[in-house]
Amino acid sequence: MNNVLKFKNKKNAVAAQDEIYNFAYLDENTKRMIRRALIKALCIPGYQVPFSSREMPMPYGWGTGGVQVTSSCLTTEDVIKVIDQGADDTTNAVSIRNFFKKTANIETTEKTSQASIIQTRHRIPEEKLKEKQILVYQVPIPEPLAFLEPRYQETKKMHALSEYGIMHVKLYEDITKNGHIETAYAYPVKTNGRYIMDPSPIPKFDNPKMDNNPAIQLFGAGREQRIYAIPPYTEVTSLDFEDYPFDPSKAPYKCSICGSNESFLDEIITDDEGNRSFICSDTNYCNQRMENN
Amino acid sequence: MQPILSVQNLNKYYGNQVGCKNMNLTLYPGEVVGVVGESGSGKTTFINSISGNLIPDSGKILIETGNETIDFLEISESLKRLLIRTELAFVHQNPRDGLRLDVSAGGNISERLMSIGQRNYGKIRQTIFKWLDKVEIDKSRVDDFPRTFSGGMLQRLQIAKNLVTSPKIIFMDEPTGGLDVSVQAKILDLLRKLVRELNLSVVIVSHDLAVIRLLADKIIVMKNGEAVESGLCDQVLDDPQHSYTQLLVSSVLQV
Repeated sequence: MNNVLKFKNKKNAVAAQDEIYNFAYLDENTKRMIRRALIKALCIPGYQVPFSSREMPMPYGWGTGGVQVTSSCLTTEDVIKVIDQGADDTTNAVSIRNFFKKTANIETTEKTSQASIIQTRHRIPEEKLKEKQILVYQVPIPEPLAFLEPRYQETKKMHALSEYGIMHVKLYEDITKNGHIETAYAYPVKTNGRYIMDPSPIPKFDNPKMDNNPAIQLFGAGREQRIYAIPPYTEVTSLDFEDYPFDPSKAPYKCSICGSNESFLDEIITDDEGNRSFICSDTNYCNQRMENN
Repeated sequence: MQPILSVQNLNKYYGNQVGCKNMNLTLYPGEVVGVVGESGSGKTTFINSISGNLIPDSGKILIETGNETIDFLEISESLKRLLIRTELAFVHQNPRDGLRLDVSAGGNISERLMSIGQRNYGKIRQTIFKWLDKVEIDKSRVDDFPRTFSGGMLQRLQIAKNLVTSPKIIFMDEPTGGLDVSVQAKILDLLRKLVRELNLSVVIVSHDLAVIRLLADKIIVMKNGEAVESGLCDQVLDDPQHSYTQLLVSSVLQV
C-alpha cells in the first residue's frame, strides 16, 4: 500500500495499484500450495483434497474456488474463456474474465476451441474438449454425501472405506417419490471406479461428457476449501439402478435460434401469455452454428 | 457346537470409573442372552462395547463367521464396519437413533441392502414389502417418513431395517423402553416370533425382568459394572442365589 500512497494524483494511484498485483492476483506461495493440492487431486481422481482457501475479491458463491484454481494454473501464454450456465456474456462470466484480464493481462476468448483454460459455472461446453485444455469448475458443495450425512468426519470415513450404500438411498427415494430418478443436476458419479464425486451443479445432461474426456477437469470449492479433479481419459460413471439406468435426458425441443436438437436448452418465457422458447445454453456453440450456416 | 460370539474378560473404564469389569458371555447360534441390572449397572456400556459402538479397554471378543473366528478388537476398521453393517445389527432403545428420519420407511429398510451392493430397484422393493409384512407395518406406509409413525411402529421399523440383511448377531438395548405396555407386549410378541422363525442369536439388555423372562434363554445379572450371577434364565429367576438378584426378582410388581 505504501507504493500507492506516494502518488498524489488519485488516477495514477489506481493504475499503480493495478500494477502491483502479482500475476493472476494470488501470490506465488499460495499458487504453489494450490498446485500441490491439484497434483494430489489428479493422482487420486475424485478424492477431495483440503486446501487453505484464500479470501478473494468477490463473495463466496461467486466462484472463489474456481478463480483460485484458474489463477494457480495460468501462464502468460494461456487463453482463457469463462462461462456461466453456458453463457459467455452473463455477469459472473464477464466479471471473472475481466478479473483475469486485469490481473494477468492475458488473452481471453469466447471460442471453446481456442481456450486453453475454461472456467465454468454449471455447464460443460457442447463442443468436444481436446487434450491440453483445462476445464475448471466452480463448486458450491463438494461433498456428495453432505445432504445424507451431515457429519464431515463420518463422510470422510465413508469415502475412505467406500461405504456408498447411502448414496443409492437418495436415488431410491427419488424413484419412490417420482417414479424415476428426479435428480437433474449435481448427479453423483463414481470416478475411476473408486470415489463418489459431486460433479458440481452441472445438469446430468453433461455427465456423460466427463467420462473419458481428453481434457483435464479441475474442481475448486472456495468456501468449503476443497479441490478435486478428473485426469484426462478417466472413467466417470453416473450412479443408477439396474432397472432404472442413468438417463441424461434432453428437453424435446430445438434451439429457436440455431435449430440444434442436440444441445442443452434454456427455457425462456417470452410474454405474459405463457409463451416460451428454447435456446442453447452454450452461447458460443449457438453463435458458431449461426456463423457456419 | 461353536459359540457364535464369545466375550472374554472384557473391561471398560471411564477414567477411574468402572463401566464394566471382567465380563464374560457365550452366545450360541439361535440363543437369546439377556443382560439385566438396575440403571447405571453397566448394561449399556457392556452391549456397546461388544457391538462396536465403544472400544473396550481390554478383553477379547470372538465372532464366528462360519469360515473363521474373528477377534473383533484386532481387525481393521474397514472390516469392523463391514461386519457391523452386514453380520451384526444394533436395535437402539430410541428408534430415532437407529433410523434416518428424513428418509422414507422403505428407504430406511433398503439402506443395508444397497450398502452390500444390491442395485435392482424392483427386487429391493420386494424385499422391503416382505419385511414390512414381517414386522406388521401396513404396506401402504412404505413411502411415509418415520416421523409420521407412532413409537411402536418406529421400533418395528428399526427392527426391520436391522434384520433385512439377515445379520448373525443382534444386539438390542432396551428395545421396549419408552413404549406403553400394550405396545411393549406387541413388540415382544414380534421379537419372539422373529427369534424363533429366523433362528436369531440375540444379546438383549433390559431392566425389565418380564422382558428377559419372555425372550431370553440365558441371563446375566449385572451390578456396579460386574456380573453377579449368570445361568439359565428360568433357573436364575426362579432360584436366585445372589442377594442382588433376589432383590431384583422380589421387587417385580405382582398385578
